[in-house]
Amino acid sequence: MPKQYRLLYDENLCIGCQACSVACRVENSVPDNFFRLQVHVQTKGVFPNLGMSYERLSCMMCENPPCVSVCPTHASFQSKDGLVHIDEKTCITCKYCILACPYHARFVNPLKNVVEKCTFCYDTRVSKELLPACVSTCPTEALSFGDMRQKGSLVEQKSQKEVLVFPKAHLGTKPKVAFIPSRKGVKV
Amino acid sequence: MAYLQARRDFLKIATTGVATTVVIPGSLGALGEVALKSEDKFIRSICEMCSSRCPMEARVVNGKTVLLQGNPFAKEMGTSLCAKGVAGASQLYDTQRLVKPLIRLGKRGENKWREASWEEALSLVAGRLSALRERYGARSVIFSAKTGEQYDLLRSFASAFGSPNVFSHWSSCPIAIESAFEHTFGEKLHRDFENANYILNFGHNLFEGLDIPLTKAMAHFSANPSKKLVVLDPRFSVIASKANEWHPINPGSDLAFVLALLHVWIRDAKYDKKFVEQYTIGFEALAQSVKETTPQWQQTLTGIDAKVVERIAEEIYAASPKCIIDWGHKATTTKAEYQRSRAILIANILMGNVEREGGIYFAKTAERINAFAKEMIVPVLNDPYPRPLVNEKRLDGAGEEGSANRFVSKRHGSLTAIPEAILAQTPYEIKGWFLTRHNPLVTVAHPQKMKEAMEQLEFIVVNDIYLSDTAMMADVVLPEATYLERDEGISKIAFKTPCYAMRNRIVEPLHQNRSAIEIVRELAERMGFGSHFVWRTVAELRAFQAKGDSVLLETLLRRGVASFDVPELFARESVFVERFCERHPKCNSLLDSNGLLSSMLTQLKTPSGKIEIFCKTVEKAFKGYGVPSAVDMDVKQGYPYVLTSGKSAVHTNGHTQNIPYLNMLMSDNPIWMNPLTAKEHGLKQGDTFYLKNGISKEKGTVFITEGIRPDTLFAYMGFGRDAPMMKRTHGKGMNPSKLLSLQSATLCGAMITNVGVEILKA
Ligand code: SF4
Ligand code: SF4
Ligand code: SF4
Repeated sequence: MPKQYRLLYDENLCIGCQACSVACRVENSVPDNFFRLQVHVQTKGVFPNLGMSYERLSCMMCENPPCVSVCPTHASFQSKDGLVHIDEKTCITCKYCILACPYHARFVNPLKNVVEKCTFCYDTRVSKELLPACVSTCPTEALSFGDMRQKGSLVEQKSQKEVLVFPKAHLGTKPKVAFIPSRKGVKV
Repeated sequence: MAYLQARRDFLKIATTGVATTVVIPGSLGALGEVALKSEDKFIRSICEMCSSRCPMEARVVNGKTVLLQGNPFAKEMGTSLCAKGVAGASQLYDTQRLVKPLIRLGKRGENKWREASWEEALSLVAGRLSALRERYGARSVIFSAKTGEQYDLLRSFASAFGSPNVFSHWSSCPIAIESAFEHTFGEKLHRDFENANYILNFGHNLFEGLDIPLTKAMAHFSANPSKKLVVLDPRFSVIASKANEWHPINPGSDLAFVLALLHVWIRDAKYDKKFVEQYTIGFEALAQSVKETTPQWQQTLTGIDAKVVERIAEEIYAASPKCIIDWGHKATTTKAEYQRSRAILIANILMGNVEREGGIYFAKTAERINAFAKEMIVPVLNDPYPRPLVNEKRLDGAGEEGSANRFVSKRHGSLTAIPEAILAQTPYEIKGWFLTRHNPLVTVAHPQKMKEAMEQLEFIVVNDIYLSDTAMMADVVLPEATYLERDEGISKIAFKTPCYAMRNRIVEPLHQNRSAIEIVRELAERMGFGSHFVWRTVAELRAFQAKGDSVLLETLLRRGVASFDVPELFARESVFVERFCERHPKCNSLLDSNGLLSSMLTQLKTPSGKIEIFCKTVEKAFKGYGVPSAVDMDVKQGYPYVLTSGKSAVHTNGHTQNIPYLNMLMSDNPIWMNPLTAKEHGLKQGDTFYLKNGISKEKGTVFITEGIRPDTLFAYMGFGRDAPMMKRTHGKGMNPSKLLSLQSATLCGAMITNVGVEILKA
C-alpha cells in the first residue's frame, strides 16, 4: 500500500524563527542564498490594529504536479508514494518545471547545475523512518509529518481536529502540505 | 566562491581559490585542506550559540553529514533547536574564523598582526600578566567573560591571580532582575508556563530571544484558545502577534502599569491575603507606596487606558494562582529597571502564585531535593573552580558600603564603570584586561569611550572565535575552539527537577584551536599557580566534579544529560507534596500543619528569612527604593523619540552576525519606524538618516513598519561592526550601543538600553 504522506504547518505555533530553513540547508547542503524552504512573516494592518501572517514556502508535493507533466526528460517524476522527485542525472536544466510550479518551489542549484527543491528529506531521512529535518528541528512543534493511513498519529489527529488550508487549492494541484491558519489575525 | 564550495560538503574545506579570496591571517581560510574525523554517530552536547545552553545532539552519518538538533533525552527539548544552534557547523567551518594565535604588530587597534605558535602566545600572556601583577598589583588586571562555565573558570583564575576585578555580561543584560530576585526571595525563581492559564507579558519576547524549553512552552500556551496571553510592548513583536491582547505601551513605562495593578488589588482587597500574611514582610510599606498610583495616574505615563488596567487586574485575580506576570529575561532598559523588576515580582507575590502549579517556583536543585527527601537521591557535584577570597576593593565599588554600586554583585560587577576607572586611574591603576569570548565594543554602552580606555591599557588578551571589534584591540588574540570542538565540565540545570548536562566535543578541534579550559589551565601553570586547579585535563576535571561517579559520567558522555527520577514538587500544592512524601517518607517530618512544605518559603536567604516586599537596607541606601515606587521614570530625557533594541531569532548579542548561514538570513539592522514618523521626517523605505543624542550621532537605514509606536524606534542589536576581518558584517547596519550613555540603572548597575534620540536627515 502506498503511503499517504502529509506535512502539516500550524501557523498558530510557528514563530518565524527559520530553524527549519537552516536545518534544511544543513541536511541537504542547499547552496548559499538559495532556499528549499523559507518561512515568511509579515505584519498586516494599521497601527495599532495589527496581525502577523506566517507562510511556509516550499515544495507542496502536489498530487497533480504541473512540474512533472511539463518535464521533457521525465527527470521530474512521481514515486509510488506520490512524492515528487527529480532525477539529477536526467535533468537537463531546461527550467520548464520552474516555470510550471505555481509555488515557486524550484531553483537551479548553481553548484550542480540541476534543478532542486524540497524532497521531504526522502533519501536521507524519511526512507529511514526519520522525520524530515525541518520537522525534527522546529522549536515549537509547528510542523508535523507522517503517513495519514496511520490512525492516531499526530498528523492524522491534527488533520481531523483542525480546519486545513491547501495553498492555491483552486489550481487543483492537491498539495500534500497543509496549513492550519492562524486564529489570531488582524483585528479590525 | 571558496566558501560556497565549502558549504557543499561542510565536513571539508575546499582549497581551490582560498588563498586568493581569503587573506585573513590566522584564519581557517588561510589554511589548507581540513579533513575532519567525526567520533560517533550520535554525539550529545550543549549548544553555545546563545546563553540558554540548550542540550543538543549531532547526527553524523558516514562521517559526513552533520545535522545538529535538540537532545531528545532532555525532555523539554525533544529534537528542537533554533536556527542559531542548527547553524553550528557554519561557524565551525567558517573560513573567517581564527585558528592560530595572533600577536599585535603596529599600534593598538591598528589591525596588524603576525601569527604565532601557542607556545609563544601563551608564554607572552603569562609573562605580561605576571609583570603587571608585580608592578601594579593583581588588581590592575580586569577579567571578563560571558556567563556560563567560561566565566566560572575565568573567575577562578582571576582569584588565584589575586584580582577582585571580574566581570560577567550580567550588567549588560539580566542584572536588574537578578538583584530584584535576590532582595525579594534571596534567589531566582522560575515560571511554570505549561500550566498557567493567564500570562501578562512585558515585552519578554521568547519568540525572538529563544530559549527552547521556555519558547516551546510559551508557543503551546499562546496557541491554546482556552488560555490568555496579554503582551505590553511598544513594538509589535512576534509574541505580540500571538497574544490575545497587545498594548503598545509607552517605552520604559512598565513600572507605572504594574504600580497601578498593585494599587487596584490593594484598593479592592483583591489579593492573596493569607499568603501575604504568612510568607512576606513589608506589605504595609507597599500599600503606602502605591496609594496614589491609580489606573488614571498611569494612563498619561503608559498611554494605556485606565479601564484596561482595571480589567486586567480583575482578570488576573480571577485566574490566580495559575497566572504569571512575566519578568522577562533581559531587563536592562531604563534607569528604574530595578524597581520595575521588583514591582513585577511583588505583583506575582500578591497573586499568591509562589510554589503553585501554573505559577512561579523555586529551582529544585539537587541540594534542595536531597534536603527535602532527607537522603541523597541526586548526586551533588564538586566545584572544580575554586575562588579564594580576594580582599581588595573592586574598581566599580561593587558590594562596597557607601558606593553607588553597593548592591551590585561582587561576582559580576558593572561593566559601564570600566572606562572611567581606566581613564581616570581611580580608584587605582588599571593596566590590563583579559577577555574571554566577551565583546564589549559591540555589546556594552558607549563603546567609543570603552575603546579610548582600552587604548590606555598596557596589555590586553582576547580569547575569541573571530577577530571581533574587541579582539582587534588586543596584544594577543587566542583562537578558541568552537563549542563543537570542546569538551567541558558538568553543568547544573535545575527547573522543576534537577538535571546535569555536559558539553562533549563533536569533532576534533580544527587545527590549532584550544578551549578556554586548556588555555587557562596552561596559563595558571606557567604563572606558577597550577596547583590552584586540582585537575590537569578536562577528563580529570569531570571526574573530580562527579566525585568519581562513573555512572553519572557515562550517562553524561552517552546522553549529554542526566536526569533523575524525582517527582515534581510544588511546596504549596498538596497533591505534589503527598506524591513526594510517598516516595520519600522521611520528608513527612518536614510537613506543616496543612500538610505542605511551607519551610521552603520561610527559610529564605533574605535577611528576614521571608519574602521581602520591603527591603530595609535598600531603602536606607537608596531612598524610595525599599519598596516598589514611582521613581526614575523618565526615559526620553527631553528627546522626541526613544530608541529601543532587542533580539532576533537568528542572532545572539554580538556573537553570530558573521556566521554564514545566519548572516544569509539577516545581515543588517535597519531601524524600525512608524510610517507617520517617517512621513514627518520625509523618509522613504530604505533611506539613510541620523539618530542623534548627547552621546553620539549614528547613521542608520530606515525600515518603515506599522509594527511600532510613532514615538519609538527599534534596532536589532549586534550590527554596525568596525572589525574589517569579519567581512560579512563589517560596516553593515548600526551599533545601537554607540548611542548609550555610561550612566547605569539606579542600584543594580545595569546598562540602560532605552535611550532618547532625535532624528536628523542625512
Ligand atoms: S522552525 Fe518551526 S517555528 Fe520556526 S519558522 Fe520553521 S515552522 Fe516556524
Ligand atoms: S509544489 Fe511545485 S515543485 Fe512541488 S510538486 Fe507542486 S508543482 Fe512540483
Ligand atoms: S522536508 Fe527536508 S528538504 Fe523539505 S523543507 Fe523540510 S528539511 Fe527541507
